[in-house]
Amino acid sequence: MTVSQISVFANSRPGHMNRVLDLFEGAGVSVRGFSAADTGEYGILRFIVDRPEAAMEALKDAGCACVVSPVICLKLVDTPGELSRVMGVLAKCGINVVYSYSMISTYIVLSTSEPERAQALLADEPVELISQEDIARIVAERAAKEA
Amino acid sequence: MSEAMDSIDVTKKGAALAAAEAGRFDALPIYKPEIECASREDIRALQLEKLKETVAYAYERVPYYRQKLDEMGVAPSDIQTLEDVRKLPFTDKAVLRETFPFGLFAVPLDDIRELHSSSGTTGKPVVVGYTDDDMDMWSECIARLVQMAGVVPGDIAQMAFGYGMFTGGFGLHYGLQRLGCAMIPAGSGNTERHIQMIEDYGTTVLVATPSYAMHICEVGEKMGYDWEKSPLRVGLFGGEPCPPGLKAEIERRMHIVCTDNYGLTEVMGPGVSGECLAERYQQHIAEDHFLWEVIDPETGEPVGEGEMGELVLTPLCKQGIPVLRYRTHDLTAVHTEPCACGRTLARMDKVRSRSDDMLIIRGTNVFPSQIEDVLTGIEEVTPHYHIIVETRGGMDALIVETELRPEAFRDSFEAMDALRARIAEKLKGTLLVAPEVRLVEPGGIERAIGKAKHVDDRREK
Repeated sequence: MTVSQISVFANSRPGHMNRVLDLFEGAGVSVRGFSAADTGEYGILRFIVDRPEAAMEALKDAGCACVVSPVICLKLVDTPGELSRVMGVLAKCGINVVYSYSMISTYIVLSTSEPERAQALLADEPVELISQEDIARIVAERAAKEA
Repeated sequence: MSEAMDSIDVTKKGAALAAAEAGRFDALPIYKPEIECASREDIRALQLEKLKETVAYAYERVPYYRQKLDEMGVAPSDIQTLEDVRKLPFTDKAVLRETFPFGLFAVPLDDIRELHSSSGTTGKPVVVGYTDDDMDMWSECIARLVQMAGVVPGDIAQMAFGYGMFTGGFGLHYGLQRLGCAMIPAGSGNTERHIQMIEDYGTTVLVATPSYAMHICEVGEKMGYDWEKSPLRVGLFGGEPCPPGLKAEIERRMHIVCTDNYGLTEVMGPGVSGECLAERYQQHIAEDHFLWEVIDPETGEPVGEGEMGELVLTPLCKQGIPVLRYRTHDLTAVHTEPCACGRTLARMDKVRSRSDDMLIIRGTNVFPSQIEDVLTGIEEVTPHYHIIVETRGGMDALIVETELRPEAFRDSFEAMDALRARIAEKLKGTLLVAPEVRLVEPGGIERAIGKAKHVDDRREK
């Protein structure tokens, strides 16, 4: 059982990922997970969506360079060692994980050209910024609850 | 050759193209055979006669030329052979700018019927004026070259050049009407409307820049328009050089035959030379109206027969502005052997580069047309490109941006980088300079409606 990942070629410039997201929005496609990796000048955007056929149609109509490929999607139990256990299954069999990202989480990480300015801009928006302390606190609280 | 082809009526729409496809160039119509197929001796005799008149006319009517010839100690009567043209001064664009607007005009404005100006891509515009006779000669030159391209009376021609001051729009308009075509003066822009009109009005001929024709093609494909079933059969290109790869791609995707013509505002506009269906990489010069020379751009001396150099043009018996020895800065070679199409008019190689387009990168001469040629040979990218030259650490850096075709995308940085490396390697092999290649999203390189700007030189001067 695999899921369809949609990959899109995009130049690493402001607005290019947004253009793709706007196409999805216009087609009523919901993004459930994504990753964006770049080489400095161009990048590959990867998406898991609810309706891959509709997403591909919207992208192709707009002339985007895009492909669909099968990927494996897993739901992990949030306990220490779980990620290592799952990766270990594949490693023991000699299967290489080329890349991996997490989905259906509303916690997202962005690496930007101007971290300070990006943070200041987002601080004025109705969106929650997460600090390193927040991350440590969430883990500690969960551990305390389980104890 | 089939019997049916022997009895072909080439005046019928589309028949000329069918004849060309069958290799029956002799069956193609020629607008003015008494000139286009005249002997070389007759052409040269006519040129000499008209050159003498032209020099006398310019000396008599244009103070600039009178002063220039007096300074050089040359009298109009010194022109006794065609080679004597070398006694005359060159005219550069700077002269037309310095005498702006009417300094070189040989007639009062009362006798001028139309003014045009150059697009000014390289500076202030140059203004030119046409008398009734000039307009007549201009439209005839164009009627000849559109007939050369397989257009016949009764064809329906749609204009996708901008009209305005640009010579291309009105020039082709008049010439196509002269031949007997119906003109649809749509102008540039509104691409979807262009496609709708082709379908609604049964347009058979499209006049456009090659970049804009490609754009029309792509927009049509996106709209789901079937170019194969379209009435369109001929593309007449101009306004910018047309790389062979781009032309071939447009012909394949739009199912049409495309030719381009050559001309420049300073000597008339389009119509100086045009491509016939027999020889697709050269253009026949209207030699009864233009005396050509090919010179070494450095020394100004003539190059050997058939050798590459800068084209110099002297319009013959043009009344509005009698320009002498205009330096085009366009690099070409001219051939005088007869052509398979039956014409004896000399053929110039299509202009692919200008002496002033040349980029010197780390001491090596690089022409944008070379980059274009390499890219059109690589199937993973489109023929659209953009060149950036920068200074990095005191050195010239050449960056070539090229557009990825959607079907060439692979979800792997390794595969994409391998493609980049392969393109860079091919470019280096031709240019002898190693470029940095950047892959751009499909449609990411701007399509120009007028002249496409391919080079962005950001070097510290």
